[in-house]
Amino acid sequence: MKLSENPIFLTHKRLVHRGGVLAAVLIAALIGFSLLIGLLNSLSETNLGWNHRSPEYVGKSCYAWIIGVEILILVIGGFSRIARAMQEDRKAGLWDSNRLTPLKPSEIVLGYWLAPALREFYMAAVLAGFGLIVVLVAHLPVSLWLGTQTLILSTAFFCGLLGMLVGMAMQKSSGILFVLGLIFTYPFAFIAPGRILTNFLFPIYGMVNLFHVREHDWSRDTELFGLPVPAIVISLALQVAIGWFVWRVLVRKTANPFQPLLLRWEAISIFSILVFAQHALVWGGWNEAEYGSRNEQLLCITHGGTLLVGLAMLMLASRPPEQVRVEAMRLGLQSVAQIFSRSSVSLALALGGVSALAMTLQFYTHLANDLSRLGVAVVNLLNIFVIFSLLLEFCRLRHKRRSLGFAALWLFVLAAVPLILAGVFQSVEIARNCLLAPGFIALADGRDFPPLHTVNCFHLAIAVFIFFNWRRQWQKLLQRAA
Amino acid sequence: MSDPLLAIEHLRVDFPEVVAVNDLSLVIEPGDVCGLIGPNGAGKTTTMRAISGLQEFTRGSVRVAGHELAREPDELKRRLGFMPDFCPTYDQLTTWEFLEHYARAFAVPERAERIEECLELTWLTDKRDSLCEELSRGMKQRLVLAKTLLPNPQVLLLDEPASGLDPLGRIELRKILLQLRDAGKAVLISSHILTELSGFCNKAAIMERGRLVKFGTIADLGHQMSQRKISVKWRTAADKALEILKISGAKILEASAVGATFDFDGGTDALDELLKTLVTQGVRVAEWRGVGDDLEQIFLQSGAKELM
Repeated sequence: MKLSENPIFLTHKRLVHRGGVLAAVLIAALIGFSLLIGLLNSLSETNLGWNHRSPEYVGKSCYAWIIGVEILILVIGGFSRIARAMQEDRKAGLWDSNRLTPLKPSEIVLGYWLAPALREFYMAAVLAGFGLIVVLVAHLPVSLWLGTQTLILSTAFFCGLLGMLVGMAMQKSSGILFVLGLIFTYPFAFIAPGRILTNFLFPIYGMVNLFHVREHDWSRDTELFGLPVPAIVISLALQVAIGWFVWRVLVRKTANPFQPLLLRWEAISIFSILVFAQHALVWGGWNEAEYGSRNEQLLCITHGGTLLVGLAMLMLASRPPEQVRVEAMRLGLQSVAQIFSRSSVSLALALGGVSALAMTLQFYTHLANDLSRLGVAVVNLLNIFVIFSLLLEFCRLRHKRRSLGFAALWLFVLAAVPLILAGVFQSVEIARNCLLAPGFIALADGRDFPPLHTVNCFHLAIAVFIFFNWRRQWQKLLQRAA
Repeated sequence: MSDPLLAIEHLRVDFPEVVAVNDLSLVIEPGDVCGLIGPNGAGKTTTMRAISGLQEFTRGSVRVAGHELAREPDELKRRLGFMPDFCPTYDQLTTWEFLEHYARAFAVPERAERIEECLELTWLTDKRDSLCEELSRGMKQRLVLAKTLLPNPQVLLLDEPASGLDPLGRIELRKILLQLRDAGKAVLISSHILTELSGFCNKAAIMERGRLVKFGTIADLGHQMSQRKISVKWRTAADKALEILKISGAKILEASAVGATFDFDGGTDALDELLKTLVTQGVRVAEWRGVGDDLEQIFLQSGAKELM
């Protein structure tokens, strides 16, 4: 079916147009026009306002403003608009109503992906037009315009897919979540801009790199596993790869909303792409004198990022026990061993294995003398993933609707209480018992820490203890199913 | 023998703490209008959502015109129309645009003509340019019914279709359902307001706590009931008639010179025999009918609770 015949697209386009687009387009035009006038004025009277800056600098500044507004409107606004359209249609029952038509799931997804943010697209198109004029007037390379506009458009499509995912999976407004995500991730991203993945997935580095700024951190060539690859290519490849998985999720959930958000192999694939890409970015840093000292810090950031992404994957891919129980009834499964492959614990082990492999590659190539640090970090990572997945499922089985609170409580006890007690008693020894501590300590400090192995063993014992309780809860549930 | 239009076998739907539908089986043939009756929480809506594919079920099968939901969901979508108990509409679209959206989605041939037909059928022709948000609840209900009828489905699932309709709307809804029945469609219609369903349902399925308590034609279900209330009117021989009734074991509830109402414990054959005796003994019977051979009576005697 052509897009021009897709009823979802046509209806949402109609709704956008009915809400009015002219005023929005005029606002965008006024912003672009003001910046263009400012540029023309500064080019004719260079002493005014711009403090003797070159025409190139003024042109870049004006164009940077234009793409800033474009990102705000198209990427952030578009994300929010698409998420809201999905949430509203789901709440009103229109999503189900559309699913009951013979439209293919991909056609439904396409309609929701492309139409609700059309107003934002028109505004961005007007701004892009003014951006081109600014680039031409300031005699900047057209490749700057072409590169930045490509990245903005690809990011808008990518964030549109994420917006749909949020709209499909969440009930309440997702804006806060998005902002919190940005606030949390971006401070770390500026420590070494060219070596942190988020700067490529949301292509800040690629855009700034195209401006050829003087700061070395933002202007150096990017590498993957030490091989030079243009930043724009890394960004586009990452967005296409992750976007493809998100598209699959959306289409599958539209066809059958009772499936988990992520299939296990999808979770492992996404996790692998992100983890290996991050390690590939850090890879070349060991050979540069200026980065060598910073790479210890980057390893810690990579470890933290791996934990965050891994825990998110575990949450998204783990199925509620009730769903597993119903499946167990359908398939006649009766033993916990059969459940194990369907539980998030096996997924936790798989994710742990992937991150261990990536980290081992990094250590063997660049830190072959420091393998004990690797051992501590890998075991800690596995402990965290396994304990998290065991706790999540145990609390879901044991506490049902109150599971989230109890899971948070136990994680707080394991991860935060040792730090609080360490502060109270001013003891580093206590702080080491924090669930998160061994990996970070080992990666941040080159010295071997024998006590960290003991702490890892202690955490492993906790994991075994939770495992037995987890197994008992599953046995109870399976007995009920039988 | 051709496939029934709707065949459900051993359907089971599990919710976290409750079995919402348990071992439900029913068959609906062309021209059947089946009332799905039950108190709130009996599992009527869940059953309908499971049949339409909106609710995952644990066990069982759903077939529409021979096509199984699990194997051929797309075939099922073309043959089945589901009207939910609320009115999902795009508020900022006109009624025409709303129907056009679904006409495109179902690839309805001669779209404009079919939309006009459905608007006319649901008395919304004069509202064709009104925004959905301007419509009353009853009108929205009719619009969603129009949308359901648009692709001309063979099987219709109507969940509480009359809940927002005024008395005139209910009468007109009844007319539409009779038209659909005459056109050979199969209709499964749920309600807990029994008077809504009386008069045009030829089958009834009574649900309670997820289970099907009774299912069959209204006549069969009436006959299955252990005790039947009969009203008889006569023109002559009142004393003789009352005597025959007493001898036959009927429990007389009301009696007058022109007739009586009585409870009868015997089966259908015994009841036929009683009528025959009255006539052969010279009683001129003017009227003979079962009181409560309707859904309300059937529902009450089925043991289901919380009747409205």
